[in-house]
Amino acid sequence: MTDSHKTIVVTGVGVISPYGIGLDCLQAGMLSGRSCLEPTKDMYPGFEGTTAEVQESVLRSKDFCSRYSRTDQLAIAAAQDAMVNSGCDRATFRESGVLMANTVGGLTEIDAGIAKDPAAWFRRPGGLLRGSSFPIAHVADAVGDHFGIRGPRCAISVACASGAMAIALAANMLLDGAAPIILAGGSDPLCPFTLSGFNSLRALDPNPCSPFDQNRNGVNLGEGSAVLVLETLAGATARNANVLAVLRGWAMTNDAFHTTAPHKEGSGLADCIHLSMEMAEVSGDEIGYVNAHGTGTPLNDIAEANAYETAFRGRNRPIPVSSTKSYFGHCLGAAGALEAAITIMAVRSGALLPTLRLTNPIESPGVDWLRGEVKRQPLPLAMSASSGFGGSNTVLIFGSGRS
Amino acid sequence: MTPNLPPVTITGIGSVSPYGPLAGLIPPRPLEPSAITAWTSVAPRRAFLVQPFRPSSVVPGLKTRRLDRLSAWALVASSLAIQDAGIDLSQLDRSRVAVVFATGFGCIELTEAFYLSAAANGWNGTDPSTFPETLASAPAGHVSLFHGLRGPNVTVSNKHFAGENALIQAASLLRHGQADLAIVLAGDALTQSLYSWYEVADLLSPACYNSDPLAQADSRIPNGFIPSEGVAAVVMESYDRGGVRSDLRSDVRSYARFRSGRWAAGGHPAEVIRQVLGGSVPSLTICAGNGAPCASSPTTALAREISGDDAVVIPPQAFALGLAGSGALFHLILGLSSLPSSRPVSGQALLLGTAAHSGFAAVLLELP
Repeated sequence: MTDSHKTIVVTGVGVISPYGIGLDCLQAGMLSGRSCLEPTKDMYPGFEGTTAEVQESVLRSKDFCSRYSRTDQLAIAAAQDAMVNSGCDRATFRESGVLMANTVGGLTEIDAGIAKDPAAWFRRPGGLLRGSSFPIAHVADAVGDHFGIRGPRCAISVACASGAMAIALAANMLLDGAAPIILAGGSDPLCPFTLSGFNSLRALDPNPCSPFDQNRNGVNLGEGSAVLVLETLAGATARNANVLAVLRGWAMTNDAFHTTAPHKEGSGLADCIHLSMEMAEVSGDEIGYVNAHGTGTPLNDIAEANAYETAFRGRNRPIPVSSTKSYFGHCLGAAGALEAAITIMAVRSGALLPTLRLTNPIESPGVDWLRGEVKRQPLPLAMSASSGFGGSNTVLIFGSGRS
Repeated sequence: MTPNLPPVTITGIGSVSPYGPLAGLIPPRPLEPSAITAWTSVAPRRAFLVQPFRPSSVVPGLKTRRLDRLSAWALVASSLAIQDAGIDLSQLDRSRVAVVFATGFGCIELTEAFYLSAAANGWNGTDPSTFPETLASAPAGHVSLFHGLRGPNVTVSNKHFAGENALIQAASLLRHGQADLAIVLAGDALTQSLYSWYEVADLLSPACYNSDPLAQADSRIPNGFIPSEGVAAVVMESYDRGGVRSDLRSDVRSYARFRSGRWAAGGHPAEVIRQVLGGSVPSLTICAGNGAPCASSPTTALAREISGDDAVVIPPQAFALGLAGSGALFHLILGLSSLPSSRPVSGQALLLGTAAHSGFAAVLLELP
């Protein structure tokens, strides 16, 4: 094997977010400093909070048939955008793999009736079709079936680290030769089920969230999807593909600490960062930016700050960190993929996005909390960190295609 | 997969199933579906059900009061697999131990409970302790938490091949040095809504509706399957990387060595599987089926096409068929358990699954 067979590259990025469709749209929106977080009242009776929604008109324009759940629709829209962004026709993707992360599956299509009287629920018009979208695996099938892709399909679900883990596992699969190209990412919609769940945990900030602020008050939920076109450098070179970024390192760990809370010292995430840098064969000094998990919850953000202190100890200057969840909330199973896309965007543009509404950052001398203006600098390497319920952590390191 | 990758060995097996909680292979015996008594709103129905048991009676100290059955079974099955492998976790670097869990429907019991609490109390009155347990990844999280495993923790799903997928992903983690040992689990719990879905979709075997012994009902399986539930676990270890217990290398039993695996949603299975086999012919094929008995199913036809008439072909077991996508580990365990002592099988074995219009999965193993 040559290095080009072991090097994983990104040759397409597709995004659907509250800003609209496409990485350019996302970049323009975020660079303008506009937040998509807005007061929401109609997600379910009695709910009042702040969320970021994908505009209905964006999905409606896609002319989806009724068999697709909202999770499926977001995933298909992002996958299509990724394929267009890669500059290839659909035939190129025929033997590709599809790894789609999600946590919600078809819960958007289901209501309490399914538990009260399931037989009646399934017998009502469209019941079987709606029920069939429930399994998390359906999202990968929806993408594969919609585009006639016949390679390996898999759904990944590890709570809020799902999207990043789909990318990491896809990279493993490419090294194994499981498929020539893999569409990997995540998709999750807003729905009463998850809003109610996070609300019951008292984890939601009723106002726009302020990750890493000492006065942070919780998370806002958003929705969206991002899909990366991943392949080996050898494959990309053979078909003269445009390399957008290189996935230099990836790692996955677990805190084994608590069902919902991260390890307070962030040790699992710190280990994950070390492992990803080891794979990428880079030191902490070489990482120019970290797109943090940064949910805005009291427990997550302090654990994460501790993780960065540990992982980047000995660095000659504080590590620049921001949370882009302050722009359009936490998209759960899609978050890691969306933030991978944002990290790639940063590597390509050299624009480091600040955390919005960060006025009084957590005291953490090893961290340069990005706030205020967009910072511009050459960025050869950047990192995206994700964590989730159940203790899972995933870290991805991206480098510019030029390196 | 590239053939020259380090070997990965299955060293432990554990399961929770209608056969009960068991460490190691499952002693072959006939299994009959049992009557479902918990769902009073439907007429008598049958399924392969896990009989209630106290997890702490199997794994001392195990607390499962707040968990759904799937998470509890995952904890028990993983403990039994670790025990069967002869592993003392306290002696291992647990940051090098991964968990890979395959499921079709995840924690559907508590998902339904969450919906019911919303119906009863409104969305603003749901139970905070239930919500995190509704995640499909909750069982895998509990396995890591209970055993203190800090390596990768992955939950995968696939409509037909989730179990095979988990084996392949775990082997990949081990071969890429991202873990030295992996606990691989696959399973699902059966609920009334799931059963109703199968029923309304007309997917069930007539054997679900009467109490004839299954042996007589086998001929009806082509027309449907009998839903089932349970969790199977295997321990997979990588030795060439110096594994987490390399000092025990010579003493460790191997059920089978993982050689390679592929799955796809389409294409030409025979062609791809021949590439995986690299010119060799498996002496044993364990069919992971698609709802039809092996004797007449496309899986059997494919197995015969690849292996020829002389190879041992083990038909899919009705119980494992009922687990749909997460049944592969049970197919593997039951297949290994049912190897005829009169005809020892060694060499290459294939775990083979097909699904109409939905592709195939093939896992190539080497038997000791």
